[in-house]
Formats: sequence, structure tokens, C-alpha cells
Amino acid sequence: MSAIDPGMEALLETFVYESNTMLEQLDEILLDSERAQNISHENIDSIFRIMHTVKGSAAMMGFSAISSLGHAVEDVFFIIRETPDKLTKVFSDLFDLVFQSSDFLKREVERVTSPNYEEGDPSALAERLHHLSAVMKGQASLDSASAPAARAAEAGAPAVNAEELHKIRVFFEDDSQMENMRAFMLLTQLANCCDILESLPAHPEADSSLCADIIKNGFLIMCRPMDSLDDVIKIIENSLNIKSYEIIHDEENPSQAAESSDIAEAKGESGDAKAGAAAAAGGGKLAAAGSKQSLISVNQSKLDMLMDLVGEIVTAESMVASNPDLKGLKLDNFTKSVRELRKLTDELQDVVMSIRMVPLTGTFQKMNRIVRDMTKKLDKKVELVTYGGETEVDKTINDTIADPFMHMIRNAIDHAIESPEERLALGKPETGTITLNARNAGGEILIDVSDDGRGLNTEKLLAKARNNGLLTKPESEYTDKEIFQLIMLPGFSTNAEVTEYSGRGVGMDVVRKNIEKVGGSISIHSVKNEGTTFTIKIPLTLAIVDGMNISVGDTVFTLPITSIKQSFNITDSNQVLHNTDGAEMILIRGECYPIIRLHDHFNIPSERTDVMQGIMIQVESGNSIACLFADELLGEYQVVVKPFPTFFNKYNLKGHGLSGCSILGDGSISLILDVGNLMNQS
Amino acid sequence: MEDTKYSAGSDDLTGRYLTFYIGEVIYSLPLGHVIEIINIQHITHIPGVPFYVKGIVNLRGKVVPVSDVRLKFGQQERPYDDKTCIIVTTINDMQVGLIVDSVAEVVTLDKSQMAAPPLAGKRMGESYLDSIATLNEKVILNIDCTKFFQADMAELFVHEN
Repeated sequence: MSAIDPGMEALLETFVYESNTMLEQLDEILLDSERAQNISHENIDSIFRIMHTVKGSAAMMGFSAISSLGHAVEDVFFIIRETPDKLTKVFSDLFDLVFQSSDFLKREVERVTSPNYEEGDPSALAERLHHLSAVMKGQASLDSASAPAARAAEAGAPAVNAEELHKIRVFFEDDSQMENMRAFMLLTQLANCCDILESLPAHPEADSSLCADIIKNGFLIMCRPMDSLDDVIKIIENSLNIKSYEIIHDEENPSQAAESSDIAEAKGESGDAKAGAAAAAGGGKLAAAGSKQSLISVNQSKLDMLMDLVGEIVTAESMVASNPDLKGLKLDNFTKSVRELRKLTDELQDVVMSIRMVPLTGTFQKMNRIVRDMTKKLDKKVELVTYGGETEVDKTINDTIADPFMHMIRNAIDHAIESPEERLALGKPETGTITLNARNAGGEILIDVSDDGRGLNTEKLLAKARNNGLLTKPESEYTDKEIFQLIMLPGFSTNAEVTEYSGRGVGMDVVRKNIEKVGGSISIHSVKNEGTTFTIKIPLTLAIVDGMNISVGDTVFTLPITSIKQSFNITDSNQVLHNTDGAEMILIRGECYPIIRLHDHFNIPSERTDVMQGIMIQVESGNSIACLFADELLGEYQVVVKPFPTFFNKYNLKGHGLSGCSILGDGSISLILDVGNLMNQS
Repeated sequence: MEDTKYSAGSDDLTGRYLTFYIGEVIYSLPLGHVIEIINIQHITHIPGVPFYVKGIVNLRGKVVPVSDVRLKFGQQERPYDDKTCIIVTTINDMQVGLIVDSVAEVVTLDKSQMAAPPLAGKRMGESYLDSIATLNEKVILNIDCTKFFQADMAELFVHEN
């Protein structure tokens, strides 16, 4: 493949995006169908349409590998659509083959953007697909690898009554360019209102050299409208770049109709919008004229830039609002304006955040595919159940957690879920279950990845850690929870052998690192023979938090509002109790909570060490509650979270209970507290 | 030997060094590593880091860690005054501020003016030296940035892999 014409770059991006979306949709349909052991008529139509679009746009971009394989898959589904009963003959072969094809296509699509893209060779897959179509058609056509002719002969059978077909010849405006794609789009639009639709040339989108032909002879459409011809005419009239059209009344050779029978008869209502969108992608700058598009795709870097800008605005706003020059002045109007500004920046921020939010469904869906492939390979029976796929997270977070999930699910299938025999012997259902459960909890998202496999074996883990020299205290002192945490240490992998799927030395520590990268944390719960649950906690968004600034000595900390329950002053020092080890506790409404003195914890010199002088802030994270002791509350601010410089990577600040830092309105820096880790530490 | 570490377009900086004082001693850094010099400003202390890492500063919206060179060289802490400066340096795309007693000047040193540091008799601080130069009868100790940040970098690479 020669280098992409620079003018095509925007098109290429759209192509990649659209194709990926379509292929993911394809996987989804295939998985559903395979589970149901049947493909519904609707799904066949969808698959057909997907392959058709991918093929068409690939052909337009000049990617012959993608388009030829797409064509082969399309052929197969064409036969299935015409004669669904033949499906049973080849069911499992078909799915394997189509999955492989989908993988191939995905790989190709991924690679087309690279500067030195070399097309892969789809011929082996295409060959097998052709063979499959041949088998479905019966051995008579076994050798007809070039299917179109044979298929056309067969497909032509649903005898199209030539008299009922209206023939319309359409001419495009001079210099409108890409006439073939325009013709294809026109067909796609017409598909909505015609139950039979054919054209000459039959596949305008497949070959850009047809342009010349279309320019010269016009584009011949043969159709049988569902309602009246007027609808068809209206669509043609409303289409872009059409110079003229004529309705032809004289009879033409009906055999021509049969010849061009494999046009997408995209008549499924649900798919209409999608087909329209896909056509728009294929046509590049052409807007989807048929259905109104209210979605646009935007480059993520632009969103990142927007987010950064909003962050700066928030900081600038508080710089203005709490400017030291204003101290002690009574400025009613100014305060009013500032309040208005604040409201607007809040709104702006919310909108930008919501733009960046994507549901987890896509990520969850990808896991289905992994489960399917692995269970086939490992001969295990596993079912993936997902809840809360509609939960939305920031795009960056969504992208970062896909890999960890994949890893955890691979681990679960490979190590945790037993073989069917073993499971039956243990009295468990033969099919193992992996559950992905996402839910919103305050400013955070909790995602459980649980399996009902054999659970973590604490003795094995300890022994392994001992061998690898990872233990830091006597074995007897390790609680179960601490033992589970061991598997997330670098250099820990419980599987002695390396399998295709897991145990490559990169283990849970990579998972943990990835999750921590987006400010998340991970905890493990496991019961022997009942299963293991990994709970991943990730922040809703990365960038901006509502925080309460508190001071300790001359250090300013920011406490996320979501983790604060209440704050109060201690009026009577007798309220503070001492545990037997001297740790301070406080009794609030009959419940006892530990006190964490921030100045002690962070070793900050402070004059207010008497609990009566400072302020107590009751915080909660997960199930634990504690009271933080600080000097004073400075007020509520929105702060833009900045990660610590990489310089600090080695010092595990996160473990100390600090999740990042933030620049305040006056230019000073506050440290953002991570309540969960803070409580674990103390 | 540091050439490869220099950012592009820094050819004219080779052989140029920024000199600064710690007490009475003149040290120098290759100019290619230096981004800018700022006055001492409010430093936010970070808990749980070595004593010579003083914390972070806000450099026009960028959070930059600062190290005290005096402490890193094992010398007595001394209160910051209006001559105290932070030299913002870059190494491996990471910015670090170095707190020094005062900045002197930029000098051009020739290889012929430099001598290798003695291998024997290691004392703390000397291990960061690249060479020792004499200019106008003053002794300048050239710091090897890679060695200087080694302790901080080593772990960094582990994390990145």
C-alpha cells in the first residue's frame, strides 16, 4: 500500500474510528449469537451491513486486504440471509472463522495509520470463507471460489419481478468527485424506503474506477418502493450533488437485475441511522444527509486541551476571587460578580467532564471476547456476567483500566476457575462465573472482578513470597488480607509455568500500577474454594476535585469533600480515649473512632498539638471511618489535581496518604490527602 | 561524555558551565542541564522523603521538586537568604530544582583545564564529581549530573519498566 495521500488523513481517521466501532459491534453480535446458538434475522442483517460498510469504506481508502476479506465474510452472510437453514451445517466453523476474520480486520485497521503500513494477507482466511460458502451451497459449487457469479445465480432466485421495478438513472454534478461513494450513499438512503433495490454498477463503493462509468452513463437504480415511487424521487432530489435524474420506462433485460443482486438491502429499522453514519464516514466530508446526525467524533487531544484550559480557568478564578489585594475591602458588587463567575466555571467544568465520560460497557464487552477465546483454548466452562456497564468514567481512566481487567480475567480463567470435572467434584456448577460489577459510590467508582473459582491459597502465597524474599515480617504476623496483598508485589507470580495467557512475569503488580496511575486502588477478598473478588476503586474523574483546605503547621492539605463526614471542635479533653497501646480514639455518639493527628503522621512542626485548639474532621473511605486532627479549616475550594513529579515515584507518597498536589489561588501548593491510604497507614 | 544527554540544539553549550557557591567552594553544572535560575521561594514540604529533598515549588503552574545541594553534600544546613537560588535543571526529561547558596557565573572550560577527581579517599560529595578545573586560579568542582541524580533516578527507571 502506497503512502496515504495527505488529503486523506482526516478520512483515514474517520475510517479507523468507524471500522473499529463496527467491528466491536460485530464481535458483540457474534458473541450473543454464539451463546444463543442461533443468529436472529436481525443480527444477520446487521452483520451483513457491518461487513458491507467496512468493505466499502476500505475499498474507497484503497485497503484491498480489508475489503477483500470483508467481501468474503459478506458473501457468507449473504448465503445465510437467503437460506438460514443452511447455517446449522457450519455453525461452529462459521463462528471461529468469522472471529478470526474480525481479528484480522481489527489488526489491519489498527495498522493502517502507521506510516509504513504493509497490508496483511487475508487470502488464507478468505479461502476458508469461500470454502464455507461453497459447503453451505452444496458441493455442486464447491469449486466456485469466486462466489459472486454462482451466488448471484442462486440469489437471483427470489424472483424479482422485473415489471415492478422502477428504473431511475441518476447523474451526478460535474466535478462532484467520488461518484462511486455518492452512488453508494444514495443506495443506502434509498434502502429505507424500498424493499427491493438494485443498481448498476452493482457495487459502486467497491471500486473507485467505476467513477468514470458513472459519470458517463449515469448511475442506474432499480427499485421497488415500499410505498410509492414519490418517496424515492424525493430522496434522490434531496441528495447532494445530483445534477439530474430520469425515470426510465422501457423494459430492460431482467437478467440484469439478477446480476446485481447482492446489494445491501439494509431494511432493518434499527440499523438505518448507523448505515447513514457509516456512509457519511465513507464519504468523508459529506454530511449524512439522510438521517440527522447529532453526534460528532472529536480528537481526544482536543478534549485534553479543553480540560487543561478549564483547570487553568478554575485556578485563575480563585486567584482573582481570593486575591490578597482585596483583603479587608467591602466589595458587594465584586462579590456578586465573582459568584456569577464561579457558577459559570462550575457549569463549564461539569459540561467538559461529561463530554469526557464514557460508559464502561465497551470495556466490559471486550472481556466477553477474552472469556470466549480462553475457555475454548483451555477447555473450561466460564460465563462472564456484567453489571453496571452503564456506569460512566473519564475516557482516560476507561482506557487505562482495560488492560488490568483483561489481565485479571485471564488470571481468573487460567488459575482460579477449575476444570469442569473438578468443579463438579467440588459440588459447584459446571460452568464457572466471572462477574464484573461496576457501581457508583460517591466520587468514586467501585468495580468488582470476582470469580467463583478455588480462591487464593494463603499457604502457597506465603511460601512463594518467602522464596522470593518478599516477606518483611514473621510469617505468623501476616493477616489474610496482607497475604493477599503480596500477590501485587513486583516479582511475584504464583504460577510456576508460563502459559500463553498468564504468568509471563508481569503480574498483578502491573495491574496495580496501572490502576494507581489513574489514582485508583485495588483490594482483594478471597475465600478458599468459594472464589476471589478484586475490588478496584477509581476516581470518577482525574482532574478537578472539590476539596476542603486544612492547615497543619505551614502546610496546606486538601481533603476531598466526598470523604468528609463532619468536622467539629473538641470542647472537653476527656472525649479523647487512649487505647492500651496509647493510640488515641474518640467517642462520637456511642461509636469509637481512631484519631489521626496529621502533624504527627506527616512529621510537621505545629503549635497546635492540644486537641482542644485544633479541629477534628471525621472522614470515611470504604467502610472505615477515622477522625483527622488538623490546625484549622481554611475553606472549600475546587482544586486541579496534579500528579507528583516523577522524581517522587520511589518514595511511595501514595502509601503515605497523599494522592497528588494542587496549586492554590495564591500560588502556593497544597497536598491532596487520600483518606483510604491515610487510614491504612496509621 | 555528557554530550548524548544534551537536548537538541545545545551544541553551543558544550564546554559551558554554570558555577555556584556552596559555602566557599565553587561548583559547576554543565549548562545544557540548566533551564533557569529562580529566587528561593516558598517550598511545600513533602513528608516521607530524604532530608535533602526539601519539597516542591510552583514554577509557573508546574510542580517542580527541589533538592538542597548543601544537604546532599553532607554539609550543615544554613538559613536561606536573598542570595539563595534555585537552579532548575533537567535530566532525562525530569525537572529538578537545586538549592544553592548563590549563583556565580557562566564559564567556558576546556578539557585541558580539567583534571579527574582522585579515586582514593572518597568523602561524601566527591562521588558526584565529574572533574576538577582551575580557572583564573580558582578551583571549580564540576558536578556530574547523572551521578548526582543517580540515587533518585535508579528507582525511577525500575518504576517505568
